Amino acid sequence: MSATARRAALAAAAVLALAVFGYASASPDYALGQATLVITYAIAGLGLVIVVGHGGQIALGHGALVALGAYTQALLVARGLPPLLALPLAMAAGGAGGALASLPARRLGGLYFGISTLAFALMVEEALVRWESLTRGSAGLGVAAFSVGGWSATAPAAQLGVSAVLLALAWAGCRRLLASRIGRAWRALREDEMAAQACGIAAGPSIALAFTAGGALAGLGGALYAHWIGYLSPEQFGLRFSFELLMLVFIGGARRLAGALWGALVIVALPQLIALARDALPGDTLRSAGVETLLFGALIVAAVLLRPQGLAGGR
Amino acid sequence: MSAFAQVLASGVATGCVYGLVALSFVLIYKASDTVSFMQGELLMVGAFAAVGLHAAGVPLALAGVLAVLAVALLGAALERLALRRALGQPHLVAVLLTFGFGLVMRGAVASVPAATHEMHRLPLPEQVLVLGGIAFASSHLAVIAATALLVLLLALFFRHTRAGLALRACAEDARVAALMGVPVARMHTLAWALGAGLAAFAGLLLAPISFVHLDMGLVALKAFPAAVLGGLYSLPGALAGGVFIGVAEALAGLALPEGYKDAVPYALLMLALLAFPRGFGGRAA
Repeated sequence: MSATARRAALAAAAVLALAVFGYASASPDYALGQATLVITYAIAGLGLVIVVGHGGQIALGHGALVALGAYTQALLVARGLPPLLALPLAMAAGGAGGALASLPARRLGGLYFGISTLAFALMVEEALVRWESLTRGSAGLGVAAFSVGGWSATAPAAQLGVSAVLLALAWAGCRRLLASRIGRAWRALREDEMAAQACGIAAGPSIALAFTAGGALAGLGGALYAHWIGYLSPEQFGLRFSFELLMLVFIGGARRLAGALWGALVIVALPQLIALARDALPGDTLRSAGVETLLFGALIVAAVLLRPQGLAGGR
Repeated sequence: MSAFAQVLASGVATGCVYGLVALSFVLIYKASDTVSFMQGELLMVGAFAAVGLHAAGVPLALAGVLAVLAVALLGAALERLALRRALGQPHLVAVLLTFGFGLVMRGAVASVPAATHEMHRLPLPEQVLVLGGIAFASSHLAVIAATALLVLLLALFFRHTRAGLALRACAEDARVAALMGVPVARMHTLAWALGAGLAAFAGLLLAPISFVHLDMGLVALKAFPAAVLGGLYSLPGALAGGVFIGVAEALAGLALPEGYKDAVPYALLMLALLAFPRGFGGRAA
């Protein structure tokens, strides 16, 4: 068993443990819902693993690509398209957004490019709020459950199943992509752009491709998120969400696919742990929402300082 | 005509605030090659510190000075404790660290009940001055004057003090500066302290224009395009970029339908990045 496969199995076991723990505790449905959320985050995280870990780019606006997928799926399904047919279109929307956001990459590098993805994300968020005739602005949009033919995934176990199948497909796709010519080109560019270009690898198109693939995965994650949560509003996809995804791959380890699943587990579990810790604190003033933000920020700082290589580690 | 001039004046005043925050971005970027994602929170903390001190009975001017000094100290402390570990690491490390510290500051202020439940305002005299037949809000003129004064002080600092010269040397080439005997680590701390202090000062200036509230740090997201427009390396460029963004935004508010004005800085940023990858006054990497 290779190290990657072992880690993947470990992560799968952890998700399972979460579900079992939930069954044993008061609310099994809640635990299944959390496991579903972990998998949804992991799918979006896979996209960021490609862009950050393999493409070697800083993407500060990945949340906006998730939003594009989520809104595309919600709007198409609301207009009567079967969810299964809408999924590829949501992925296409995310991918197109990624391609668009990567345009400046042809001329910019490093931090400058990261900033341009940030500007892209802020404009998407602004558009989602302002284009009220389409997105209903801050009032939000309801989304029906995922369904195929006459069967619809309303039960938490069914949601988990659908997510797991799609994660497996996405994972297999990523493995193939990273083992292919283009995957090798990304890694070559990440290690040494000059040397890679000397070998005939075109930097601009390769980075654009990484963003398109990453955006498509973000779109898929967003589409599932829309179905499971059942309600979309622009503030779910703000800057903080983009940074949560960034932290997800950082904590999990940006260079491995398994990093996305590990990171997703941590990111989804953190608010629960923080809520537990907060309830243990004495006094009413300490239980405000501010303490939650404070602890979340402190945990980011601690994670970055203590494990600069991420939990999955490795190069 | 007079409406146009008033919009212009308010645009320049907000632009000055953007410019000051952009200056703080550039200072930090030049010294340590990182973009700080906590400048907005430092700005908010600075404004709240002044409000809190004033509420505790400290005279307004003294409260402002103390607030700026406290935030500058906070910046230096954060650099000493954590941010210096990001040097030489991938950009992502510094991005996440500063964002995390930003959340901590935000959470800390939000857990004070009085900060979240009430709107605050620094009690400054609000008058309307009539100059050449055009009415200006005194707060706008005060902001412009205060910015001009601060920029003059900064220019004097960079030109005529040893610390200013050392800081410039570090920004130019840290290795050579170290070989010439400049204490580079201390200069990094100084840069972060100055950057934090500048953000806090911008927060004080923003207080008479808008209220003091938790989300006032969002202006940093607009100062960001200003810094990039100015080239991220140029201090005068950052200020000019800030004023440009402020005026462009104010004019967009006049000309475009309601709501579009907030997207203008980001659209300008994308266009500028595409057309001038290193900013207008920038240089090749």
